[in-house]
Amino acid sequence: MIPFFLYLAAGAVTGFQVYALLVLAVLGCPVNPLEFVSLAGSLCLIVAAYLSLFKPHAAARLAWLASLAIWCFYGPAIARTIRWF
Amino acid sequence: MILPYLAMALLTLVTAYSAVASFRQPRDGSASTWLFPNGTRRSTQLTVGICTLALVLGGAVWLTIDARHSIRRSSRFLIPEGYVGWVRVEFQVKDAPPLPVEGGEYLFKFPSSGFIRTSSPEEYGWAKDHYFYYSEKATRILPETGWGGGGLIWGKINGEESGSQGTRKYEEFFVGTEQQFGEQKRGEQNVGPGAPATPAK
Repeated sequence: MIPFFLYLAAGAVTGFQVYALLVLAVLGCPVNPLEFVSLAGSLCLIVAAYLSLFKPHAAARLAWLASLAIWCFYGPAIARTIRWF
Repeated sequence: MILPYLAMALLTLVTAYSAVASFRQPRDGSASTWLFPNGTRRSTQLTVGICTLALVLGGAVWLTIDARHSIRRSSRFLIPEGYVGWVRVEFQVKDAPPLPVEGGEYLFKFPSSGFIRTSSPEEYGWAKDHYFYYSEKATRILPETGWGGGGLIWGKINGEESGSQGTRKYEEFFVGTEQQFGEQKRGEQNVGPGAPATPAK
């Protein structure tokens, strides 16, 4: 059950954060296309969580690809934040 | 504020774990371990599947309801032409005038000090605010954009501070270019309410 909870928690937390950023687009904030890539990655992580109950190895591969997709957004965001401070 | 750190920690953990789990070579007939399980029983799969579905649906409903209840009246901020620096609004101040409403929007007309006090309470929620420079002759729009978008409104803060007159809610934001905002953060420029007004562009 460890991979299930790990993938689910990571998918939910990263997905919620990026969703909250995307909601700001309603107010006119510019949208970064990488946010959509990251959100898709979060959804894949949630799918991987459920898949891990049946096929742990396939789920791990999916989760790895999904996490790379999420890093596409978090990587530049972290780098920019560090440069800012 | 904990959410970004939690997200990064979980993401790092998932990346490392999934890399190890997907590239390790499982031996035939190897025993299931707590760290790398081979699978779960059918009853567990069903239970977890139903719980996950309920959780996801519950989350979607909660987000929808929350979004509907978090709308507030828009605000129009009028800032003296050429002002660069922080502006501040203090809410729920006794004996201060209430905020006027014009065209369905709260009107915040800042004097040259960039400081307003009002008896009106602060409202929270989603709304599209508008920012303008004003002078005797005309008003012009101050764009609000993301980083690198050429905006002139930055660093919006909603806060609360305690003093001799009790707790006071306030809102602050910076008016100026992105470069000016960055410079004042690093203490390279003397700006703020009461600072001399200089052209923003």
